[in-house]
Amino acid sequence: METCEIEDITNTDTCMKLAIEQAEHALNNLEVPVGCVIIEDEKVIAAGRNRTNETRNATRHAEMEAIDILLDQWQRNGLSNADIAQRFSKCTLYVTCEPCIMCAAALSILGIKEVYYGCANDKFGGCGSILALHTSESVGATRDEVLHGRGFKCTGGIMASEAVSLFRSFYEQGNPNAPKPHRPPAQSS
Amino acid sequence: MPSTNGNIENEGYWKIVHIPDKLPIPPHLQPTVNVYASIINPKHANTLIRKLNKISLLEDLHHVKRICKRCVEGNVQLLMILCLASHDSGQLEDMPSEIAELIESYQLSTFITKVSKYPATSKEDWEEQCKLWPTSYHPPTYNIDGITGFSEENSQSILEFMKSAVDLAKSVDGQIVNAAVIVNPTSNQVVARSCDQWAEQQSQASCFRHPFHHAAMVAIENSAARDRYLFPASEPVGDNCCQADFVDSPLTVSPSKRQKINTNVEDSGIQNGETSACGSTPARPYLCTGYDIYLVWEPCIMCAMALVHQRIKRIFYAFPNPNAGALGKVMLSLQLLELIKTKCKFNRRDALQIISHL
Repeated sequence: METCEIEDITNTDTCMKLAIEQAEHALNNLEVPVGCVIIEDEKVIAAGRNRTNETRNATRHAEMEAIDILLDQWQRNGLSNADIAQRFSKCTLYVTCEPCIMCAAALSILGIKEVYYGCANDKFGGCGSILALHTSESVGATRDEVLHGRGFKCTGGIMASEAVSLFRSFYEQGNPNAPKPHRPPAQSS
Repeated sequence: MPSTNGNIENEGYWKIVHIPDKLPIPPHLQPTVNVYASIINPKHANTLIRKLNKISLLEDLHHVKRICKRCVEGNVQLLMILCLASHDSGQLEDMPSEIAELIESYQLSTFITKVSKYPATSKEDWEEQCKLWPTSYHPPTYNIDGITGFSEENSQSILEFMKSAVDLAKSVDGQIVNAAVIVNPTSNQVVARSCDQWAEQQSQASCFRHPFHHAAMVAIENSAARDRYLFPASEPVGDNCCQADFVDSPLTVSPSKRQKINTNVEDSGIQNGETSACGSTPARPYLCTGYDIYLVWEPCIMCAMALVHQRIKRIFYAFPNPNAGALGKVMLSLQLLELIKTKCKFNRRDALQIISHL
């Protein structure tokens, strides 16, 4: 995914609009419409959207896609793990839906600075809805990760209705990949 | 940390143990919490429920019914839970102001009563709970083989798969790593296997490690890669669902391509009743539905959630993770919303630990 640099991103709505564009992109590709952007020093440095259907991998959420772009790029640029941790600690994520438990744990392992999300994730939300991992200090698998994992500042409800209306469009058209008895595609006339 | 050496050499020392998420408790000793309740005028029931749902969601008490009907000396009374009460004291100080206003405007006389803290896990528990205050009870909608004991044959293959996971973990020199093996239990076929990838890369003298490439995450990606390889295009999922052909050009889908996708969906929709002929190839699974995973170490929070997302049915692990073992935490928190039964075919009883028994 190409990254764009936009000067002077100070407004949360401006950033969330970019995340919503990513979610629309997911919707157009028959994916669950969630999108995100990662901002560092007021610049968009990565964008991502859900690719779970395309990859057959249910962990390929928007956040994971955007993070992997950065990890790949920074690794190629020769950054060490310490450098990478340092960069993420200056990054802010804007995502259209509350990160799930998996993504919230991942963001905590990375040590991201801050997260803004659109609508809440009542089923799997990891930033308050089901678990509150953004306030947790003990996330990770190894002692090292637990030591370095940290909470992050998290604010929800940014342009939530736009995010919800994308979900609505998606489920109206039906998820063609889910097996029955999950929501069948709407009958096309 | 338990040693992975020694114990595993002799399979006779291994034993499958079901780890319940809490100790078994006799039905009459189930934990309770205090709530404020009140007798209400049946005419106000709907209004009160609507108002209370806005100001006092009983978040951890989804199993508890809000309203209770009681017969007192031939008269039917309606009782309603208002909110949690934090103390036994009977003081009203801890009551939210919105609730206090409601009590004021509807002239409610409140009292403190006990309700069961956790959803019932058996009919006996449930019957006992309802003596305090009615709760809902959802018996498991399916059975998982071997929750209460595996057959000899199953135990043997379970231990074999776990041993292969442990061998995989040991194959990485001098590192304590996790390893994962995903298995289709109906055919005993290994779908994917993996180790924590950072260890491999470290031994190659690269200082970078992908922070999320834990064994379980890598195994999920390997199983997805296998799926993409075996079923490259518009194979239906199972035999009852159509799927669009958007695999060959994943990154750039032009509007004209998009048009074609839509046509494809409609076309395959027409033939939906037919199973596509794929010879001896098994039906395409939906993600890892019905599969088992064997892990040497208990998964962390991220991996536990990932396994639920990928529809893994059963998780076996050899050693609890002393740092951040999270299976119970994640499963239990999801269980509270009673979602797992319907969405993921996963409930807390799926977590089994294979421990060394010396």
